[in-house]
Amino acid sequence: MSTLLNSLRVELRRGTLTLAVLSQLRSPQYGYSLVLSLEKSGITIDQSTLYPLLRRLEKQELVTSSWDTSESRPRKYYVLCEMGLEVFQQLKKEWQQLSEELYLLLKGDDPDEPN
Amino acid sequence: MNLIDLYIQEVTRRLPIKSRQDIALELRSTIEDMLPEDYTEEDVTLVLKKLGNPAVLANGYMDRPMYLIGPKYYELYIQWFKWILPIAVTITLVGFFVGTIMAAPENQTLIIFVAKQAISEGIVQVLFTMFQVFFWLTLVFAVIERVDHKGHKPQGSCFKEWAPEDLKKITVLPKERAVPTMETVGRMIWTVIWVTVYFNADNILGIYKQGTEGMMSVTPSLNQDVLNANWLLVILAAILEIGLSIYKWKAKQWTIKLAWVNAISQIISLLLFTIIITSPNLFTSEYSSFLTNNLTFIHHPETFIIRIIIAVFLISIAADAYQGFKKAYFPVPTDNSHKKSGVGK
Repeated sequence: MSTLLNSLRVELRRGTLTLAVLSQLRSPQYGYSLVLSLEKSGITIDQSTLYPLLRRLEKQELVTSSWDTSESRPRKYYVLCEMGLEVFQQLKKEWQQLSEELYLLLKGDDPDEPN
Repeated sequence: MNLIDLYIQEVTRRLPIKSRQDIALELRSTIEDMLPEDYTEEDVTLVLKKLGNPAVLANGYMDRPMYLIGPKYYELYIQWFKWILPIAVTITLVGFFVGTIMAAPENQTLIIFVAKQAISEGIVQVLFTMFQVFFWLTLVFAVIERVDHKGHKPQGSCFKEWAPEDLKKITVLPKERAVPTMETVGRMIWTVIWVTVYFNADNILGIYKQGTEGMMSVTPSLNQDVLNANWLLVILAAILEIGLSIYKWKAKQWTIKLAWVNAISQIISLLLFTIIITSPNLFTSEYSSFLTNNLTFIHHPETFIIRIIIAVFLISIAADAYQGFKKAYFPVPTDNSHKKSGVGK
């Protein structure tokens, strides 16, 4: 039961990860800072998913990356580019609409929920 | 090398060369970010555990699939198997029987030689063919899976996306009406066997006696010259039989037309068979006298045997033709039930 629930939860969250990552990349972030800022909002992301995802977003020309070598250890920073920003805004809208729809749907389903 | 280097190497060795350096650098900086100031090996282990299996991480960086044949092609792959495997096995078997009979040495009884070869060679050949089909088909589909990046929907039978019109191509076959593929395969192998036996009858059919080297055929029953003289009829019968098998196989199910074609070609076979078996001097004189000596209670043993054989043949074709019509008249399920309940229009 718990493993099933777990896999369903992972599946449910998977689609939202891109949106979550895009939302944090409005300002430049490097890999681990991104993990921390996502975790602060309660979103845990598998690191083996995150780094490949960042690279994929770069390949899809939604983010750009640059190496910062000024500090003690070199870090690769990612930030949304123009197209990425546009896609992010649209996905955000999509998400808001979806969550509203689902909210209504689930509210109607649950008689215990106070109106 | 320390654990971090080893981990990074484990990831990057799975990646294309041009992206290795960049990913290695980023990975190292990330791992160091995750570690406290003065870290111990224990800390490193903890961090690496968080990053997970290097193979999984490396796969995340790559676009190619981590499976051989995915859901897009799996169905098609299985379908082609069901198609190609019986054909390949049939060809192998036919080739095996013809080859073995041709290669049979003079001093051995053919049927025993073929049986021996079937056990020692035939099974191996069939298995080999099956492995070949499996290997090549899997290879082809694995390549297609990696080359084709268009869409992710499962493919229909013709490498096209499914459309509702495809449903019209489906024939609903009740089991009672279907022509099993194995029947076609069996028929063809049978045809090859009896034709080969026919043209080698003097080596195969006869009175067998226990010799020094196993069973030896000492007295052939039939005159090979008489048999050979009828070659045209035999070829005709063989073509008729193979043609009928292919026709049945393509028809996939019994219809009235097929039942008629079947019945008529069976009758023709019987006629051809009767002409051959009643040709004069078919039995060798040695065999005739052998029969007369051993079956003293029958007046004309030869005629008697010929009649029995024809009768058996007749009964078997009658049964076959009857079965054909019975299957053809088996009711096809229609969609009348929908019409009655008013679901359809």
